[in-house]
Amino acid sequence: MSEIKYLETHEWYSLTENKITIGISDYAQGELGDIVFVTLPEVGQEFSKGESMVEVEATKTVAEAYAPMDCVIVEINDRLESEPEVINTDPCGDGWMVKAEVVNLDDSGMLYQEYETFIS
Amino acid sequence: MPDSLVSPLHNYHTSQNAKFIDFAGWSMPFSYEGTIKEHNYVREDKGFFDVSHMGRLEIQYNDIAILQTLICSDIENLQVGKALYTIFTNNNGCAIDDVIFWKFQDKILLICNAANTLKIKDHLITYSISFNDVTNSTALIAIQGPNAIQIMKGLVDIPDSFSCLQNDQYTYARTGYTGEDGLEIMVSLDYVDELLDYLKSNNISPCGLGSRDTLRLEASLPLYGFELSDEITPVEAGLKWTITNKQPYLGSEVITEQLKNGPNKILKKFEIDTRAIARTGTKVSAGESGGVVTSGNFSPRLQKSIGFVMFENQPSTDLIVFDIRGKLVEGKILKKRFLN
Repeated sequence: MSEIKYLETHEWYSLTENKITIGISDYAQGELGDIVFVTLPEVGQEFSKGESMVEVEATKTVAEAYAPMDCVIVEINDRLESEPEVINTDPCGDGWMVKAEVVNLDDSGMLYQEYETFIS
Repeated sequence: MPDSLVSPLHNYHTSQNAKFIDFAGWSMPFSYEGTIKEHNYVREDKGFFDVSHMGRLEIQYNDIAILQTLICSDIENLQVGKALYTIFTNNNGCAIDDVIFWKFQDKILLICNAANTLKIKDHLITYSISFNDVTNSTALIAIQGPNAIQIMKGLVDIPDSFSCLQNDQYTYARTGYTGEDGLEIMVSLDYVDELLDYLKSNNISPCGLGSRDTLRLEASLPLYGFELSDEITPVEAGLKWTITNKQPYLGSEVITEQLKNGPNKILKKFEIDTRAIARTGTKVSAGESGGVVTSGNFSPRLQKSIGFVMFENQPSTDLIVFDIRGKLVEGKILKKRFLN
């Protein structure tokens, strides 16, 4: 898997050939607090860059995760339906949200160092 | 914007890596270790909340007769040494604030919502009630949970439920806002560190306003600005049990009429068998009746979504449809409390 990159809207993605794995950053999960419910898209759903893909419900508020680039969903993390708290405990690992096939490559996300500066 | 007010415990909160929120002009801890964890500390064991943002006014005992004309409960006939939850009403019988009184021999302590402190002070001044505002010269700490009393026995004499006591250091009552047993303690700034040291040495974890909100919701308790407002009467908010004042008080004719003929709008509890949260402002329908969610959140104990909805009129069915950001989700009205 390639290096994780981050968006200003606090999603992370990692690119392998033509597929991306997407989740939300550790910073985002920390700001949201306890995540209790996640609405995932369906396999086969298409998204344009910037479109809302996932809804994340926390006790504090609801947030959305946006498509980092044009893509089609190929896999969703079913585990999040019963254990949404995995996003809190392992946001960039087991807490991944969707895998998607890239339609238009846009690898313009920030590397961690840059993202760290962005959030500080 | 002016700087937020901070509690006397602010440095402690910072040292515990609290996440802060701005609430009614105060910067207060929202959470320390996480809302659900803190919720469970209180439900299963013990925890403490800094609620120093709440208004604290010492009213002269002599003004009790005037006070009685401003609230829907009977404070005059309440025993000295008891606490009282009640509502200041306006001319329309609606809530100016919901408050707690601690009735002592020499004074009556009024604890009001932080957002309403100025409003309540103005109201008291209008009706020539003398008070001493001790909000900034004291802290208010709530120690709550099934094991809270056992620990607090080591520090103070324990009053009966809904009763209050005072000693040289502490003014306190066996009250709370979580549905659990516990104490709420007002302490002057001279002794606040001593109290904090006691809580720390007994491993009582700090809990933030996030868990205070999920706890009060699970305990079916209203929050001013959501379930109660200056457009909602105690009858409409399902708080008939607070209406014990037999003498005339502000808006009492409206409240008496509603008690007799039933209110128009009516607050109901709901649950949804999923974790989809119907948040404040979510539109709902139950048969022909429409309504709006006043508070809604995930219940850590029930592991489902719960809340309150204000219906425009009495719904004819218990089945509710929520419009959660365009998605229709089904739930039901609950007649009993969320927790038994």
